[in-house]
Amino acid sequence: MADSVEEIKKAKKLYLVIFGALLVGTVLTVAVATIPALDVGGHGFDGKDAVLGLIIASVKATLVMLIFMHLNHEKPLIYFFYGLGIVMAFFCMWLIGWSKSDPIQYGNSEKADGFYNPEKPASNVHGHD
Amino acid sequence: MEIPFIVNARKDTGLFNSKVGIWLFLASEVTLFGGLFSGYLFLRLYADYPWPERALPVLPGLINTFILIGSSVTVVFAWAALKMREWRKFQIYMWITLICAVLFLGLKAVEYNAKFHHQGVRLSSEGSVQDFAYLEGHVHYAKLDENGKMVEVSKEDKKANPEGVFSANKIIFKASELTFALKRPAHEAYVKEILAQAGDEHKITLIGDYRVPNAEELLAGGKNRAQLESSEAALVVADGAKLSIDDLDDMEEAFLDARAHDKSIRTEFLRASWSWIRDEKGIEEISNLVITTDLWKERMAEDSEKIKPLMLSAPGTVTYKIEPALTLVWDPDDIPKLAKTEIKLRDDTVVKGELQPSPMLLGVDAIDFRHTAMRAEEEGIDPLEAIKQSWVLTHKNSKGENDLKKAWECHQAWLANLTKKLDEMSDKKGLEGEDRFVPTENDKYRVNWDQMVAYQKLDFDVEAVAAASADGSLQRSGLFDLSGFAGANHNNYKFPHVEIPRENVGFTSTFTPKWNTYYAIYFTITGLHGLHVIGGALVLGYYLFFGRKMYDSNPEWLANRVEVGGLFWHFVDLVWIFLFPILYLM
Repeated sequence: MADSVEEIKKAKKLYLVIFGALLVGTVLTVAVATIPALDVGGHGFDGKDAVLGLIIASVKATLVMLIFMHLNHEKPLIYFFYGLGIVMAFFCMWLIGWSKSDPIQYGNSEKADGFYNPEKPASNVHGHD
Repeated sequence: MEIPFIVNARKDTGLFNSKVGIWLFLASEVTLFGGLFSGYLFLRLYADYPWPERALPVLPGLINTFILIGSSVTVVFAWAALKMREWRKFQIYMWITLICAVLFLGLKAVEYNAKFHHQGVRLSSEGSVQDFAYLEGHVHYAKLDENGKMVEVSKEDKKANPEGVFSANKIIFKASELTFALKRPAHEAYVKEILAQAGDEHKITLIGDYRVPNAEELLAGGKNRAQLESSEAALVVADGAKLSIDDLDDMEEAFLDARAHDKSIRTEFLRASWSWIRDEKGIEEISNLVITTDLWKERMAEDSEKIKPLMLSAPGTVTYKIEPALTLVWDPDDIPKLAKTEIKLRDDTVVKGELQPSPMLLGVDAIDFRHTAMRAEEEGIDPLEAIKQSWVLTHKNSKGENDLKKAWECHQAWLANLTKKLDEMSDKKGLEGEDRFVPTENDKYRVNWDQMVAYQKLDFDVEAVAAASADGSLQRSGLFDLSGFAGANHNNYKFPHVEIPRENVGFTSTFTPKWNTYYAIYFTITGLHGLHVIGGALVLGYYLFFGRKMYDSNPEWLANRVEVGGLFWHFVDLVWIFLFPILYLM
């Protein structure tokens, strides 16, 4: 951690550089999402856009963590705490994948209420389903 | 008492204590937001409706990202200023940080406000296809005329004379009879509303006495049922009594007491019957087998006859007549069951009468057929054929016109041009099969508000739209168009006006969590994030406004405090760095 006046002065310059990098990252994210000529993958939003957007966001987040939050020179205990939080967050996401094997929710693809029925007119004419 | 390790590090951790604390807290925060992001992922991956892709206006989100990133820099500069013992600079940087927080929350409020006033309607049509088209826009205003018919009121007229004006998404029902269910004693809000709307001109009176036999008289014996019911002690509210909450409370109390009495009688008999059969058959045989035998059934039938005269059997409903019939204006959310001659309120009150024309008046800024197309494709129907049957394209207004159909036709012209351009691009790049550029579902089935504006500027002239699309002059709102800063702005643009008959209004809501799971998770995550901004600003503000004394006595302690508060602030920024692309750009 920057503690001496000299070190802090040096760190402030770095903070400004990171600020610039974060702004550029934000502009880049918006540009690839809104300017057709910069669009990656197919036309419009798709998986490749999502991956690129998340990569840029991850780089920005890493810069904030390393420089603004001083994780680039922190004590091991802090790495342990933060790492644990991130592991738990990914564990939550893994649970989502696990939920797909739920046979009650996803095992039966039959729809109770058909969209098209030439024999029967729609019953939900007054709404409030 | 001196608090240890507030300035200097502990030997075992190498850290001052509050830093250990904040990092433990931040770790739990990572898990909390990780769980919410997982929730988002789950809702999006398993959504059974077309997910609103890139649905939010980007500019407010982009500005807020700049604001938060900027405040992250100023908070770390504030900490650096303290480290260098520059109080004045600390104050300046901290002030900027707090101003950033206020700006962020202000912009969020603008965005939220736009959503609270933006209406979505999922249509429902009679016929072989259930429609599922969505219209988005702003609800217009209406009031009842002297005949109780709904008439539209302009925004200007509403401002000049707001009395009796309501937003035109209401059920208008001419009520002649009200039947309250006494087992649901929660009528107060509805009764107040009915009485307020009735005023002095309408009489709402009880039909027939409400009588409950007196339990003491009944148990004393010597009187038959007719005598019991006609006794003075049995009268709760007399025929012709005016509707009042007090009377309803009395009747509800009498009903609930009577029901409790009846239940206790039944329980006593049941208890006696169980004792009897236990004595008759022995304890081992009292099982499911026993109670299905004829022996038990016969006993129950006998009991039933014996119980009847001992029951109070209070009527569960009371009916009031309304003279002359009263035209009531209801919020659709209050009416779970709606039919032409009868509606049921949420407290099970049945209102008899006649449903009046209750169209929803909507300025439409977007048409969305993606759900129609999705459902059609699932069932093997051509989406465009299903769309053709939608109310959106089949209805006609009072002038025999349909602006939405014109907008849709313009959109088809725009889409044809887009498809052509994408084909040319694919050919140019030599792309084949699935790699070729194709219009998105949004392109194909959704007319967005800025497209609606662009088509309207050309008077919904299909040929003009086709020509403008081809030469690239079709003007759609760009990223930096302030006239649509927080989405479709109905003050700046005039959008097609429709009257949607009540039977075609399938589901309706403003853009709040009720509308769909996208807005549910949007408000949950951004709301929680907003609370973090408020919490962080309060802590940083405390250092700014009350930190001087500590600065004078122990500046390093204050610097450590600001560092810890700053760490939380950076985390708030960190969450937004992911929220912005996920919610606004994906």
